[in-house]
Amino acid sequence: MAEAKQLFKEFKIQSVSEFFRRNAAMLGYTGKIRSLTTVIHEAVTNSLDACEEAGILPYVRVEIEELGREHYRVVVEDNGPGIPEKYITHVFGKMLAGTKAHRNIQSRGQQGIGISGAVMFAQITSGKATRVITSTGNDEIIEAWVKIDVDKNEGKIVRKEKHPNPRGWRGTRIELEVKNVRYVRSKQGVYWYLKLTAIANPHAHIELIEPDGKLIVFPRSSDEVPEPPVEMKPHPRGVLTDDVYRMARKTRRNTVKRFLIGEFSRISDKKVDELIEYIAALRLIKTVQDKTVQEQLYEKLAKGNVKAVLRSFKGYTKVVRQVAKMMEKPPEKLTWQEAEEIVEAFRYMKFLAPPTHGLRPIGEENIEKGLKGILKPEFVTAVTRPPKVYSGGIPFQVEVGLAYGGEIQSGFELFRYANRVPLLFDAGSCVTTLAARSIDWKRYKIDDPERAPLVLMINVISVHVPYTGTGKQSIANVEEIYNEIRLAIMDAARRLQTYLSGKHRKMAQVRRKKTFEKYVPEIARALSILTGEPEEKIREYFMAFIESHFAAKEGVSENA
Amino acid sequence: MPDRKAIHREKPKERFSYDPTRVLNKLEEYGRRILEEVKAGRNPYFDIPTRGLNNVYFDEKRRVIRMGDKLSRRYFLNVAHARKFMQTLLLMAYVKRLVSENKHASLREAYYANKHTIPGTKENTFEDQRESDPIIEDLERMMGVLREEMHLTADRRGYIYGDIVIRDGEDEFNTSKLGMGGWAVPGTVEHLQFPEINVDYALVVETAAMADRLIEEKFPKKENALIIATQGQASRGVRRLIHRLHYEEGLPIIVFTDGDPYGWYIYSTIKQGSINLAYLSEKLATPEAKFVGMTMDDIERYGLKNVTEKLKGIPPNKKGGPTGDYKRIIEEMNYPWFQNREWQRQLKMALKMGVRIEQQALANKSLEFVAKKYLPEKINNGELLP
Repeated sequence: MAEAKQLFKEFKIQSVSEFFRRNAAMLGYTGKIRSLTTVIHEAVTNSLDACEEAGILPYVRVEIEELGREHYRVVVEDNGPGIPEKYITHVFGKMLAGTKAHRNIQSRGQQGIGISGAVMFAQITSGKATRVITSTGNDEIIEAWVKIDVDKNEGKIVRKEKHPNPRGWRGTRIELEVKNVRYVRSKQGVYWYLKLTAIANPHAHIELIEPDGKLIVFPRSSDEVPEPPVEMKPHPRGVLTDDVYRMARKTRRNTVKRFLIGEFSRISDKKVDELIEYIAALRLIKTVQDKTVQEQLYEKLAKGNVKAVLRSFKGYTKVVRQVAKMMEKPPEKLTWQEAEEIVEAFRYMKFLAPPTHGLRPIGEENIEKGLKGILKPEFVTAVTRPPKVYSGGIPFQVEVGLAYGGEIQSGFELFRYANRVPLLFDAGSCVTTLAARSIDWKRYKIDDPERAPLVLMINVISVHVPYTGTGKQSIANVEEIYNEIRLAIMDAARRLQTYLSGKHRKMAQVRRKKTFEKYVPEIARALSILTGEPEEKIREYFMAFIESHFAAKEGVSENA
Repeated sequence: MPDRKAIHREKPKERFSYDPTRVLNKLEEYGRRILEEVKAGRNPYFDIPTRGLNNVYFDEKRRVIRMGDKLSRRYFLNVAHARKFMQTLLLMAYVKRLVSENKHASLREAYYANKHTIPGTKENTFEDQRESDPIIEDLERMMGVLREEMHLTADRRGYIYGDIVIRDGEDEFNTSKLGMGGWAVPGTVEHLQFPEINVDYALVVETAAMADRLIEEKFPKKENALIIATQGQASRGVRRLIHRLHYEEGLPIIVFTDGDPYGWYIYSTIKQGSINLAYLSEKLATPEAKFVGMTMDDIERYGLKNVTEKLKGIPPNKKGGPTGDYKRIIEEMNYPWFQNREWQRQLKMALKMGVRIEQQALANKSLEFVAKKYLPEKINNGELLP
């Protein structure tokens, strides 16, 4: 977030478009294919989030129209709650001021600037305003053309029309005209993005009309709208200096102490007293000249021997008193440096693990529905692991889905998600890829994993997904996450194995039956010679006997 | 003429028993039972006495190796059994045809006659003769019927010479009037009948060379004996013939083999039956057979020390022993039917002396020695081993 703050400063000085170009990579607008996918992503995410918050089963329709070479019109329409007139500029215009950019909440939007980025991208590449048609289901439909006022960092409605709404239509339709992008049906393209989105959001009905007019439908497979994620107070281990600094500015608490207790999870009165000692100790350690002595003191502190560290300094009580005083001042007076000290001290202290109620997994049942509905496999299973914590304080949760056979083509496929959002780029370095590769699939009756008709989906859920790089398309190889993914995959793979061995059993049963049937003509001839009964009759006796035997065996066990 | 011999013909204990309808009835009976089982919705099966050492025991009273009562059940509806079940029925049907048409087939012919590809598969009913031979043995055990009674003949080996008349189908002949080569014993002797027996006993000889020697020396005529040459281990035909001559015609059986573990084993099989054919012992074995030689005592008695040969293998008291002949002798010492003073003494002597003595070593004395002195002396004085 320090980075973001820095950006924000620059952004004030330079033009918005300049800022946008410079940070295109971070915002997801690099490359012709990816830029188009990002535009769709922002619009679809907005729609899904809005529906989720309003408890509506989403119906999202994406239309891509080719207007010229690398020139497209993108239309995204939903049946969401609609946008009240006065909020239109707010939703589509504010850069870095999205409703949840700095909320401690598990969100789909990763880029921070959301749909306004898409509006900006359209404006830069084609020069056109974004057309918004929306209604909250009341008697009017609002049609507005939105641009971003680069001077004020604000949305601006350049033209607005109101229409009657006799049928009570509700929803939002946005149309963006973009250039310098390309529609390709590749694994990084829009088609693939929507397919993966549909799997992770089985409650959504998603349609795509491709530039050549082809309609693709990803039907809804669950009627259950997921609960929107709730905001969680940040855990001390999961915050950066910028978060503390900014939160201190916004809080309505009177003192720094009250602010810390009130706005963070797992901080009590006693913890603040402890924090005071740690900050004092850190201040004192920094005054030590001798590097080796300093190192030893840091180590002592890390072990929790804060009292011993303090006692090794003369007049340490004075420093402690200073820090205690700081805790009593109004939070808005907290300096950047003091915020830094607090965050540093947090790193040395021990806290209870953070609460995990804010995490919203897709859920095993819904993953299975999603995979079944979109991929039509013959077998599907899903595993949602219990929440865990990484790097001491950041809660996360792993989900895995496994689909096998049916309409799935052979060739192993990995679908990666972070907070339900498909990750389409930088697969190689992603922890999900590494974990999936580390599995010995042969142990689970997948003899040739490269050619098996197998789809593995992995969803990593967290308030702070540790991405590698600014592209936010690849999750860092954090040991705790890696291990959780592996456990989840192995659990799901075991179920697949059970299914596959059952299938083998059935096939073996059919083979077994044949073993007997093929001998019947020989036996009948021989018995006919021995007993004088007609061959045909004997054959019937034997076939009937085999049939009844296997019918009785069906579903029970196999001993024959 | 006073009876000066210790050995003479006795009263018969068995009657000629060959009856083809018995086999046919049994086959039909088994076929019917299978059919009834299937009709009743039950898994049809054959109960077959198990093969091998663990289902074999020595019957002390009747003094033969006999088959135990362990059965293995061969089901139709069992992946491991189905093929054999089919093969069993196939061969049963084949036997029925053979017997009712009064034809005989060799084991190999039975294999080829029943081998064909199962329609709709690449599988043959029999892939190999090694598949059909054991099934035929199974049938013998299961139905208590000899392979020969099923008109399946074994390899023939062995011949006889002596003043007896045999009726074989339409032919009738005296086996002492067929030239020096005698009459070759066929694979199946079941149907043979003996209208005339003019001998006092049958002498079973291991080697053809010795049998030829005795015939040339006119031993059969002079001693009123029938010569049966086994040519090594006695074939089933010869063993059955010996059994029948003893039990149906009352001929005493005297066995004359080399003085080595192999020769003694030949005697043992004739007398008590073999482990492989334990289920047939009652029809093949002749426990009353006696042994004339060669014995270890003969070496001393007839001064044959210089014509002995060393036993092969390592003696039991040497490192790595016992192996080879020594091992064989020790095994034979443990046979229940060799648990008597005379045989234990012989076998111990063989171990101690470490030598073997062949029948033909007697030629060291003179060619006629065996026929003029050795055999008449021992047999007529009753110097026989049990």
